[in-house]
Amino acid sequence: MGRWTVLGLLGKAVLILYLVIMVVWLVFPVALVLLASFQGRLEVGIAPEQFNLEAYRAIPNSYWEAFWFTVQTAIIATVAALLLAVPAAWAMVRGRVRGRRLITNLVLIPDVVPQLILGIALLTVFIPLHLSNSFPGVLIALAALSLAMGLRFSEALLEGLPEEYEQAAISLGASKFTAFRLIVLPLIVPGVAIAALFIFMQNLIAFELLLFVSGPRATPIAIRLFTDIVDRGVLPYAIAMAGILVYVAIAFYAVVALTLGPKYMTGSVMSRKG
Amino acid sequence: MTRKRRFRERLIYRLAILPALSLITLVALVPLSLLVLASLRDQTTGEATIRYYVETATNAFFLRTLGTTVLISTGVTAVSIVLALPLAYLLARHTRLRNILLPVITVPRMLPFVVIGYAMILLLAPITGVANRVLLAIGILDQPAFILFDWPGQALAFAYTGIVVATAVLTGVMMSVDPQLEEAAVSLGASRLRSFFLVTLPLCVPGLIAASALIFTSIFTSYSIPVMLNGRVPYMISVIISANLLTLQQPHLAYAQAVIVAVIAIGVTILAQRFLLRFGDRGGHQS
Repeated sequence: MGRWTVLGLLGKAVLILYLVIMVVWLVFPVALVLLASFQGRLEVGIAPEQFNLEAYRAIPNSYWEAFWFTVQTAIIATVAALLLAVPAAWAMVRGRVRGRRLITNLVLIPDVVPQLILGIALLTVFIPLHLSNSFPGVLIALAALSLAMGLRFSEALLEGLPEEYEQAAISLGASKFTAFRLIVLPLIVPGVAIAALFIFMQNLIAFELLLFVSGPRATPIAIRLFTDIVDRGVLPYAIAMAGILVYVAIAFYAVVALTLGPKYMTGSVMSRKG
Repeated sequence: MTRKRRFRERLIYRLAILPALSLITLVALVPLSLLVLASLRDQTTGEATIRYYVETATNAFFLRTLGTTVLISTGVTAVSIVLALPLAYLLARHTRLRNILLPVITVPRMLPFVVIGYAMILLLAPITGVANRVLLAIGILDQPAFILFDWPGQALAFAYTGIVVATAVLTGVMMSVDPQLEEAAVSLGASRLRSFFLVTLPLCVPGLIAASALIFTSIFTSYSIPVMLNGRVPYMISVIISANLLTLQQPHLAYAQAVIVAVIAIGVTILAQRFLLRFGDRGGHQS
C-alpha cells in the first residue's frame, strides 16, 4: 500500500513536471541557436520553408580565421602543457620531492586565480614585451591554464597507477627513466589523450583570460563573437558560427562518451570557469 | 655507487619538474606579483602608494557595485543549487535517465559563455524573442516584457550556466553516496523524502560547498554576459575594472580593484577547500 495514494501520485506528477521543465531549460539554448542558425534571422519560427543555409554561407572569412586561430592555439597549448605536465607529475608523485605541496599549489595558480585577473596580469607584462595582441601572447596565456589542468589530470592518473610495475622493471635493471618511458608512459597514454581533449575544449572556450591579451591581430572566436554583438548587435552569420561551436561541443561529447562511456562526464573532473 | 645513483635519481626528478615550474613562474607568478606591485605604485610618478586602494575603498559607486555583484552571484548560486539538487539526485540514482540526459548537461559546459548569451537574446529579446512571442500569443502578456537588457536577463543567463555546472558536479557527488544508506533508512520506516533530507543531503554537503564556490567565483568574475545582456547600472564589478583599464586610462586603479576582486574570489575558493578538508571525510569521495 502507500505507493498509489493520492499524495504519492501528486508527488510523482510534480516530479515529472519538474523534470520536464528542467530538461527544456537545459536544452533550449543549444536548440534555439541551432534553429536560428538555419533560418538566417532572429525571429525563430518552425515553418519548414524558413529553413535555409544562408547564414552558414554568409560566415565571413574573418570568422573562419578566428575559428582556426582558436583551434591552432588551443592544440599547441594543450600539447605543450602536457609535454611539461606529465614528467612533472611523475616526478611529484614518484619522486617524493621535498616541497611537493608547495609546488602543486604553485602550478594550480592559473586554475584558482580568476581568469579575468590573470588576463589583466598577463596584459601588464605583455605590453612592454609587445606580446599583447599576438599569436604567442594568446598561446602563452592558454599554456598557463592548460598546464594547471594538465598537471591535475596527470597527477590523478599517476596516483591511480600502482608503483609496483615500475619497481619490477627497476629490479630487473631498468633505470628510473627507462621505467618511466617503457612502463608508465604506455599505461597512461589513453588517460592523457582524454585529458588532452578536455584541456583542448577549455582552451577553445577560454574567454575572460584572453579578453585583454587578444586584439584585432589575434582574435579567438569567442571574443570575435562577443565584440561583434557589442559593436553591431546580433548578426545571423554570428549565430551560424555559434551553431558551429555547438557542433564542436557535441562532437567532443560524442568522442568522450564513446571512448569512456557516459559515466565519466559528471563530477568535478572538469572545472568550468565562465 | 648507491649514493651516486640516488643523486642521479633526484636530479632526474628535479629536471622533470623544472620546465613546468618555470613556465608557471613566468606566466602566472611573475605577472600576478607585478600586478600587485603596480597596484601599489603611483601611475605617473611611480612612487609607492596605497592611494588606489584607499580610493577604491572610499568610492561609493565601486562599493555599491561590489555589493550588487556579490548579491547577484550569491543569489544565483543558491537558486542554481536548489533547482539542480533534485535533478542531480534523479540522475545519480537512475542510470538510464542519466545516460539520456548527460549530453544535455555536458554540451552546454563546452560552449563559450558568449553562445549562451546569443541564446538568451534569441529567447528573451523584446520583439523577436521566443519567450515574448509565445507569452503574447497565449495572452499571458499584454505587451512585450523588457527583461533582457536589465539585471533579470543577466541573472537568467547566469542561472543557466549555474544550473548546468551544479547538476554536473552534484550528480557526481550523489553517485558517490552509497544508495544502501538510503535503503537502510527507508527499511527502518523513513519515507523517501525523509531519507533524502536526513541521509543523502548531509553526506553531500562538501560537494554542495565545492559546487557553490565554483559557481560563485565564475559568476563573480564573468565579463561577457554582463556586457552582452546588461549594458547599464547595476554593473557587475568586472565591467568597472575593464572600463578603468581600457577606456578611463586609470590602469593602476584597475589593478588595485583587480587585486581586491581576486582576493575575494580566491578567499571563497580557499574557504570552501578548508571546509572540504575538515568535513570531506564524512561524505563520499569527490571525483
